[in-house]
Amino acid sequence: MLGRKDDEKALRQLASSVEPVSLSLEILQTACAWVWVTPEALINFLIASRQRANAPGPCRRHLTPKSPAVAAQPASRRPPLNLEMGDLDRAIAQLRACRPIPEAEVRELCHKARELLIEEGNVVTVNAPVTICGDIHGQFHDLMELFRVGGDVPDTNYLFMGDFVDRGFYSLESFLLLLCLKVRYPDRMTLIRGNHESRQITTVYGFYDECLRKYGSANVWRYCCDVFDYLALGAIVLGASNTLSPNPDTSSEAPTIDEDSDVEIQVCNADGQIMTQFSRQARSRVHGRSPSGAATTNGVAPGAGAPTNTGPPGSGASGSSGGSIGNPAGAVLCVHGGLSPLIDVVDKIRLLDRKQEVPHEGAMCDLLWSDPDEIDGWGLSPRGAGFLFGADIVKVFNHKNDLSLIARAHQLVMEGFKEMFDANIVTVWSAPNYCYRCGNVAALLELSEDESGLGVFARSNGEVGRSDGGVGSGGGGGSRGVLTESSRGAVMSGPARRYRVFQAAPQDSRGMPAKKPVADYFL
Amino acid sequence: MSASSIPNLLSLRGSRGGRGRTRGGRAGPGGPGPDAAAAHNATIQATDTDAAVSRLSAVELGYLDDPFARLFVQQPPGPSSRRLPIINRGTYTRTTAIENIVSHFLQTTQGQKRQIISLGAGTDTRALRLFASTSPVITDLAYHELDFPATVAQKLTTIRSSPQLQSILTITPNLSPPPPPPSPNSSQTTTTYQTTSTTNPTNTLTLHGIDLRSLTATSPPLPSITSTLPTLLISECCLCYLSPQEAASVLSHFTTLIPAAGLGIILYEPIKPQDPFGRMMVSNLAARQIRMPTLEVYKQPEDQAARLRDAGFEFVETLTVDAAWERWVDAEEKERVDALEGLDEVEEWVLLAGHYIVAWAWKGGKFELPGT
Repeated sequence: MLGRKDDEKALRQLASSVEPVSLSLEILQTACAWVWVTPEALINFLIASRQRANAPGPCRRHLTPKSPAVAAQPASRRPPLNLEMGDLDRAIAQLRACRPIPEAEVRELCHKARELLIEEGNVVTVNAPVTICGDIHGQFHDLMELFRVGGDVPDTNYLFMGDFVDRGFYSLESFLLLLCLKVRYPDRMTLIRGNHESRQITTVYGFYDECLRKYGSANVWRYCCDVFDYLALGAIVLGASNTLSPNPDTSSEAPTIDEDSDVEIQVCNADGQIMTQFSRQARSRVHGRSPSGAATTNGVAPGAGAPTNTGPPGSGASGSSGGSIGNPAGAVLCVHGGLSPLIDVVDKIRLLDRKQEVPHEGAMCDLLWSDPDEIDGWGLSPRGAGFLFGADIVKVFNHKNDLSLIARAHQLVMEGFKEMFDANIVTVWSAPNYCYRCGNVAALLELSEDESGLGVFARSNGEVGRSDGGVGSGGGGGSRGVLTESSRGAVMSGPARRYRVFQAAPQDSRGMPAKKPVADYFL
Repeated sequence: MSASSIPNLLSLRGSRGGRGRTRGGRAGPGGPGPDAAAAHNATIQATDTDAAVSRLSAVELGYLDDPFARLFVQQPPGPSSRRLPIINRGTYTRTTAIENIVSHFLQTTQGQKRQIISLGAGTDTRALRLFASTSPVITDLAYHELDFPATVAQKLTTIRSSPQLQSILTITPNLSPPPPPPSPNSSQTTTTYQTTSTTNPTNTLTLHGIDLRSLTATSPPLPSITSTLPTLLISECCLCYLSPQEAASVLSHFTTLIPAAGLGIILYEPIKPQDPFGRMMVSNLAARQIRMPTLEVYKQPEDQAARLRDAGFEFVETLTVDAAWERWVDAEEKERVDALEGLDEVEEWVLLAGHYIVAWAWKGGKFELPGT
């Protein structure tokens, strides 16, 4: 159970140093295994509870063991924190090692994150290029694998569609890392809310218990839940290209297609090798074996019947010309679950009061809970919240809102992604071997930036112009904020999509505190 | 928490016991030096603890009604025993499905003496629940539980120390030898304890401490198991731990012993080891030192059906656990169960429950079991 010699050493030291209660090494080891914490976390917890029990008092100091491995943590000994960049970078480094940051830092971080998120609209505007990710569910080591496959922050612009927590054993580290990255690189990291970002759900599915286990109190869980309330409900991706950017990882031996511009769908493995490609015209398979995830895409290209609206994409506002300005490939709506019978235009999402616990019903609930299904119209959801919605609903919604695609997460798909309804909607799932049990692969979806000079909108994150549009934060493209007339009349035919499929991080790559996860079965 | 319960918890949590660190283990022999067979036995016995905790979780959350579940879990009450909704629903569905078949058996054999033989019963409480029920159908029932001697001895200890169980069972003195020291190695020795229902003396529960692998077509019948009674065998995730030959041999023991009186069987086992979920299941269980040799042979529902036909059963039915939920749990009950926790993981449920099967079969024409 104790994988490392120095864990054992630290525990031994602790066992001898904490008085008056003497704890045998064996008890501590057992406790570690039983409550599923790292020795380090247990030590932190014991020290923290000791400090609570003894404070205020002069004796606090000698309760802190002298071992450097042990002494690093107590929150009370850290310098006061205002989350300067250096603090953030230090927290990020610590979280990347899958080590929780002290409670005081979490509080500070969550406070900062809320200040940031409150400025965002319910529907965040994001400019391509962007890498869209689905459920993470506390699978920290697989999140690291995701960053390896998709590129690191801030080099890659990420959009995570919720369900960061629950089920996996590292919800805390996963969510706090994503939140740190959000605060550190606000324009390169977009987080929207999933149905698990909720007080009620996290008490059933693990995040609450994990916080209690790792900190000894529910404070951190409370801080995180307060952040959940401020997460955006959706995002609109603008400026996605009809064509794929060159795949930087493609080796010279990898198959390529004659004309890159023909490729609508490309599926790569974790090493960047192209597994399958689909060309745009016929949506016929160009190369490789059929990806079951994309097998449903045969049919007419989405949006081929040119929409008549040209107002801000997603708003349903009308304009004078066909095609959406700055959006030759049409806008992409990202939301965790799906559509709601109460929402016919994206602007109605913008009107919701989102700063609350996820309600049991209503539009906000539906956006986070609903699923597409092979039905006509709307149906009852087996989940007991949200609805099922059919192809007709999606097509009408996309047409009305000038969207070429809805990207959503929420449902486990064994192949990592699944396009449905003539590629009007796609499910992206980013938790490989979900719950350490399901044997599925994961995927992320890359949308390239339109570099045809047609221009894109500056990112505004909703109503408030907080952002500088990416200038100075590593955003590519010099044409931001420029609208070009020539984009008018462009035939919208959906963005080109590159899926990177990846598997669970190999066990031996898991960091040092990784306990081997155990999945439940019926025995 | 008693010291002896700690290793149980560890064995629940996983496979960290493989480094000679097993002192004080649930049924460990105590000495150093790995004894693979004993370790395997202990692992299989630990799966029963896993099942008992799952059952308790389902009971405490209101899925199942079982006043005895708590008695067989050495763990303080509280969140530690709580399982995820998907596991609770699985425990509920499997229990309900098997109960449905058992009650069919009891109804169609009503008025005559009959026996139920539960293989690898472990801490299962079905017999206790039957005896505690006030149903007029529960009469003239000889219930037999077979498991490792150590498991049986432990169960008897629990019965002896529980006023609640003492009130429904009387241990028959003359059939009760002094409990032997628990040892997973003692596959040779068999022990038998008989108890009688206090409310209805025509109902008996007999605990047989035996290594199932000693049962063959030619081995002598176990004490008080009769060849002339309508009989229902239950293997709830038990025979799957044996080799296919051993499992077939156990079946042949009973088909030979009870040729004409009517014999039925219920199997509950995992299936589909070869798809991505199944491969992960096999590998995850292997990491806990749990092997299911029959799973590699009876991969699909059809394989399970063929296996039962080969064993001589005339009528064979199978139902995956997710199908049992769909078909055998009525709308009102579904609503009740759904309301207990809410099950968010719909896709995962179909995946997980689709990898377990309830197969049942019967022959001899003396009674019928339900259709799907």
